[in-house]
Amino acid sequence: MTISLVIDTATSRTVVGLVNGDQVLFEKFHEGATDHGRAVSDLVSQALLNNPNPEEVIVGMGPGPFTGLRVGIAFAQSFALAREIPLKGICSLDAIHIDKSDYTVAIDARRKEIYWARYSGGVRVEGPAVNKPDEVADYILGRHPAIGEFVRLSKLTNEPAPLYLRRPDAVPTAERS
Amino acid sequence: MSQPLVLGIETSCDETAIGIVRGRTLLANEIASSVEEHARFGGVVPEIASRAHLEAILPSIERAVRDAKISLKDLDAIAVTAGPGLVGALLVGTASAAGLAQGLGLPLYGVNHLAAHVSVDYLTHDLPTDPTIALLVSGGHSSLLQVNDITSSITKLGATMDDAAGEAFDKIARILNLGFPGGPAIDHDARNGNPSAIDFPRGLTTTNDWEVRPYDFSFSGLKTAVARYLEATPENIRADVSASFQEAVVDVLLLKALAACKSSGIDSLVIAGGVAANSRLREVAADRCAKAGIQLRIPSPGLCTDNGAMVAALGSLMVSAGRPATEGAFDADSSLQVERVSL
Repeated sequence: MTISLVIDTATSRTVVGLVNGDQVLFEKFHEGATDHGRAVSDLVSQALLNNPNPEEVIVGMGPGPFTGLRVGIAFAQSFALAREIPLKGICSLDAIHIDKSDYTVAIDARRKEIYWARYSGGVRVEGPAVNKPDEVADYILGRHPAIGEFVRLSKLTNEPAPLYLRRPDAVPTAERS
Repeated sequence: MSQPLVLGIETSCDETAIGIVRGRTLLANEIASSVEEHARFGGVVPEIASRAHLEAILPSIERAVRDAKISLKDLDAIAVTAGPGLVGALLVGTASAAGLAQGLGLPLYGVNHLAAHVSVDYLTHDLPTDPTIALLVSGGHSSLLQVNDITSSITKLGATMDDAAGEAFDKIARILNLGFPGGPAIDHDARNGNPSAIDFPRGLTTTNDWEVRPYDFSFSGLKTAVARYLEATPENIRADVSASFQEAVVDVLLLKALAACKSSGIDSLVIAGGVAANSRLREVAADRCAKAGIQLRIPSPGLCTDNGAMVAALGSLMVSAGRPATEGAFDADSSLQVERVSL
């Protein structure tokens, strides 16, 4: 069995877990859209009291509001470097557990938009993408990524880079009117 | 601990920078800059800078560790810029630092960017510099500080009331079509110009200003004066404009820095920050300090701009002075005041 440290900051909820195979050793979250920095540090130190030697780090790569998302990824990758253990990335929407086989999940993307993905037979068939809510049919909002799902998915896939899905807001000097 | 081995992380603006020092010896100074990605926008775009930090930080740490010929396990402490700066950019640094510190089981020092700029001076000699007056001039800051103890006691004497000095260089360079960043471009252009060709205003130097705010700066009036001059003088000589603008900035910075030395009775001046790389500022500072009997210290140009060595240097001084590490989890503070040397 592998002991996995799981970190996700793609939503306003900072999620940290410690899992040994199928057994969840530690699971805790903190709600707060601007608290990710403190929360990740705090929750990971609590998790390590449970078992100080995780053998891999699994991190949510978004999509999610950029600033908070980066905090989780930055922490996870440097922790993995320090411990010389592998880092695996997961699309955070994939880790939202819905008890159906065909569904669409969404999370708040701010600016009156949502990040979403559609699943069929439990497999992502569309997305992740960012759209206005009325452009996406029948989506489930308000659910959060689950610790166990990260571990399950990490055996199947590896998302190497943050899923921003939007370009930075900026207008080149030459194009300004 | 007399020779602590400290890794410093700096991500407050557009440089992802990692430094490693042992005591006061610099072992590695790794800098990845996203400045070219910002050039077409005429200034630093926070989201572009933050994305670049996340991409660059891990490879930068690995390169720094290789350069220093150490292993992460040898480190005694981690230091990181906690503010002031761009919050999204700072957070990449503080989160990375926290991950490293927890992973390695090391103390973490969240330190002040401005204090770190001053402390880099300590890597170049063995003598204690403090107390000293420090002039900190960059694209984001223009402050005059009294440093009583670099690890715990800094007083702000004054700061810019509008643009930072480096920002003024960027804006004038844009008007003169010299590109971004403006500092090196104007410095270069000014070498062929006459610094006394045009008498541009020196902000906040009236008799009343010297009484009410002797150590504050203002560069927005200067910017307007240059723009007006260019409008009124279509046949202008650009190098003369560059040189005269630069002279106005340099003159006012040094007038106030030397006045601070005189009134405090402190005969030591450290000039740091990106604008301290300006060749005219270095030249005039050397000349005026020599005449006034003030010991001048300016780090080498590579250590003036944002770097990780300065953060590691301050961390190392903190450890040596027995200052406590930052307790528990902390947030980046984009408007951290200079009086708070560490969190």
